[in-house]
Amino acid sequence: MTSILVLAAVLGLTAVAAEPSLLGKEAPDFALKGRDGKNLRLSEFRGEVVLVNFWARWAGDSREEMPALDRINTTYERAGLVVLGVSVGEDSRRADEFASSMGVSYPILFDVGSNTARDFLLQKMPMTILVDRAGVIRYANVGFKRGDERAYLDHIRELLRE
Amino acid sequence: MNFNSRAVSIIWRAGVLAVTLAVAAFTPALAQAPPAVPAASPAPASAAPAATPAPDAPPATAAPGAEAPPAEFRTLDQEVQGLKKDVIDLNKDLFVLEEELLFPANTQVAVFLSMDVGTFFALDSVTIKIDNKEVANYLYTAREADALLKGGVHRIYLGNQKVGKHELVAFFTGKGPVDRDYRRGATLTFEKGVGAKYLELKITDRVARHQPEFMVKDWE
Repeated sequence: MTSILVLAAVLGLTAVAAEPSLLGKEAPDFALKGRDGKNLRLSEFRGEVVLVNFWARWAGDSREEMPALDRINTTYERAGLVVLGVSVGEDSRRADEFASSMGVSYPILFDVGSNTARDFLLQKMPMTILVDRAGVIRYANVGFKRGDERAYLDHIRELLRE
Repeated sequence: MNFNSRAVSIIWRAGVLAVTLAVAAFTPALAQAPPAVPAASPAPASAAPAATPAPDAPPATAAPGAEAPPAEFRTLDQEVQGLKKDVIDLNKDLFVLEEELLFPANTQVAVFLSMDVGTFFALDSVTIKIDNKEVANYLYTAREADALLKGGVHRIYLGNQKVGKHELVAFFTGKGPVDRDYRRGATLTFEKGVGAKYLELKITDRVARHQPEFMVKDWE
């Protein structure tokens, strides 16, 4: 019985360790249409710190996270931070309505086919990543709970200082 | 030079570069860059006069005032610059080799997009189908569209196609005259020969009709 438990624990640890991660790697480039009809490309923000937030209307955590990200955007926009919200797998009209109801001021992009989410190995919603000035993913957070925004701020300040 | 000999040449150069870098890293002259001992160190009264060089010290060419960097540093800097240039050259050759390997000239088809004036059309995206199979779909940002209007050319597709007849269909979406949503297609049947094939999608303004015009040009 003990050996079975040990084996299960080892397998569990192996599964966690083998979970694919893009940390430390160059962020996959994407171009997506925004709410204003304009296309935005991630690589065009090279030289700035970019926070990409993958969200969905049905993910309850997104409702909590988006206002926090909006506050971060308002404070750090002038310091060189770019916040991009990416709606995943949803009709752009509905996503637009939802974003309007949340009153966010940062650009919202529509990944209707979920191709970008796939490139970023998205497994759970919401997911927030931080891309440094060189285009490398330096931080990723899956899900959202109160207090996570403090970790975002720590990492953002560190990246802005670089 | 054929493909194999170029590959061998690149591997040889990469090896030489690696050896040079390794040697440079372990050269004692680099490891212990000598400070300007006579000028910098405050000599005790009992020590030898400051002007007297130590037996194994390098010739103090630029020591007084330390205005110009010592000759060793200059040489070192030149060597580093030379190595950097070699790395860039090697990188360029590797890129060309990779392209040749992935898209050999006898199967290569490249499609370019260019835009002229753009008064009647604001480009949003282009989709390319070859033989009814989507091979490229590109969303243009405002910056990229501007670059095209300034004379830039974008290689939107590079791939392999068999020798023979093919049909290319390009769909252009954007804003047309009076800010209306606009979607147009252009078709070209082309013959793929043994050499590389270059096709150009050209967006121009037809002033007489106040409409944009979409063309596919086959560069022979």
